[in-house]
Amino acid sequence: MTTVHVIGVGMTRFGKHPDRDAADLGAEALLEAIADSGIDPRAIEGAYCGHVFQGMVTGQRILAQVGMAGLPLSNVENACSSGATAIREASLAIRAGEHDVVAAIGTEHLTTRFTGALTPDPSDPEAAVGATMPAVYAMRARRYMEEFGMTREQLALVAVKNRRHAASNPLAHFRKEITVEEVLESRPIADPLNVFDCSPVTDGAAAAILVSDRMLKRLGNGRAVRLAASSLFTGSVDTEPTSMTFEPLTRKTAEAAYERAGIGPEDVGFAEVHDCFTIAEVLRVEGLGLFGQGEYPAAVERGEADIGGRLPINPSGGLLGKGHPLGGTGVAQVVELVRQLRGEAGERQIEGARVGLAHCRGGKAVGIEGAACTVQVLVR
Amino acid sequence: MTVTDQTSAPISFRPREFEVLADGTGRLLGSRCRGCGAPFFPVRAACSGCLGTDLETIRFSTTGTLYTFSVVRQSTPAFPVPYVLGYVDLPEGVRIMSQISGCEPDDVKIGMDLELAVEEFGTSPEGAPLLGYRFRPLAGRGDR
Repeated sequence: MTTVHVIGVGMTRFGKHPDRDAADLGAEALLEAIADSGIDPRAIEGAYCGHVFQGMVTGQRILAQVGMAGLPLSNVENACSSGATAIREASLAIRAGEHDVVAAIGTEHLTTRFTGALTPDPSDPEAAVGATMPAVYAMRARRYMEEFGMTREQLALVAVKNRRHAASNPLAHFRKEITVEEVLESRPIADPLNVFDCSPVTDGAAAAILVSDRMLKRLGNGRAVRLAASSLFTGSVDTEPTSMTFEPLTRKTAEAAYERAGIGPEDVGFAEVHDCFTIAEVLRVEGLGLFGQGEYPAAVERGEADIGGRLPINPSGGLLGKGHPLGGTGVAQVVELVRQLRGEAGERQIEGARVGLAHCRGGKAVGIEGAACTVQVLVR
Repeated sequence: MTVTDQTSAPISFRPREFEVLADGTGRLLGSRCRGCGAPFFPVRAACSGCLGTDLETIRFSTTGTLYTFSVVRQSTPAFPVPYVLGYVDLPEGVRIMSQISGCEPDDVKIGMDLELAVEEFGTSPEGAPLLGYRFRPLAGRGDR
């Protein structure tokens, strides 16, 4: 079976794009990815497009914009893991031998789709009693503080770090550093989380071109990065109440990816993880096995997760700093991994980056730990 | 089931998950697997423990303990803020998300004992009041 390689990536600026829509953004990202790969666009055999709230056939609108309609394309929805799922589907089509060149796109024009707190689907019993995503993570934060003694200041430092990383990312939604005090004094959303603990409402898109071994050989692309694993799981249905301060779903998805890639968590040089909220980054990195349970807040305080630290987390600025256009996020994480692994990350370059990991986790459905979790491992 | 005067019968906001009894009290509904005993909220079609499909619908206990909570200060227009949202562990082994009422947000504590209360929860499309559930501090506990 072939391995899969990323030969080109593209990404719009993340932020507010009042004059453009999800297809415009997707088209910009796709054209950049094609140009970056150097491939003739006629060689692209299929496409997957991840988005959440953009309505029917957004992927087709993107292909039509760039003159490439006529390909097999599937739109994929997996909440905040939609873009990551598009990457996985593209890789599966290549591994299965169906295609040699596939485009994966993720896009979202979120500012026109809702304001305020994201909620589960209205059909869900928890949505019916007032669940919001910030409230769910706030409850997990409170429990984590109770169990592990994390301070409010330690939690705020996650946002401070990711905003600092974002300040050196020209495509990030937020380009200004913030302080712990600013996080603590920002508008309350769901105690203990304030607005700076939450990822913003962002428009943006990203794209990647994936190829098989044989196509890579034919192209001779020296900047290719190997997609060593792309795993996806849905959460299990609880048969008893389980801890909300640890993520078995993240652990399971990571273990599958580590096994496929032939690595362990100790081999990961840096990671982009799904920091939709400050507490989420804590839960992710511990679930991934990158830090011990209960140990991440102090590690952030010591600078271990900084660019230049022992294990940089979210060098792009993450969802908190770079922004979180739901469907775009998973592909944008892969864009960051590829640019870091190629040594093209500019000011925020991680020295000697060789193995990067991307983690997404999205969606809320009553009675299951998480709806969709993905882990991608990229190796140079 | 007794058929009462339908015009005055209380209407549950979510009849599949919450039953309002004739005496005005309410019960959360779920499933228990007859094969392995695993409990579920809400009602399921099959058991995730043993994958058996022989499930009975059960009424859960009306008391529980608070696993964690948050004071929600930004929500959707359907839910005026602030309100307290929590996860309540019931003795049958399920964790239920619910609003917490009947006390000041500052008095809510992880581990506190709670009981289910039937409270108004919006209105039907026809304008009839709907009944839902919130959990309140258990009567006779705490410093109320």
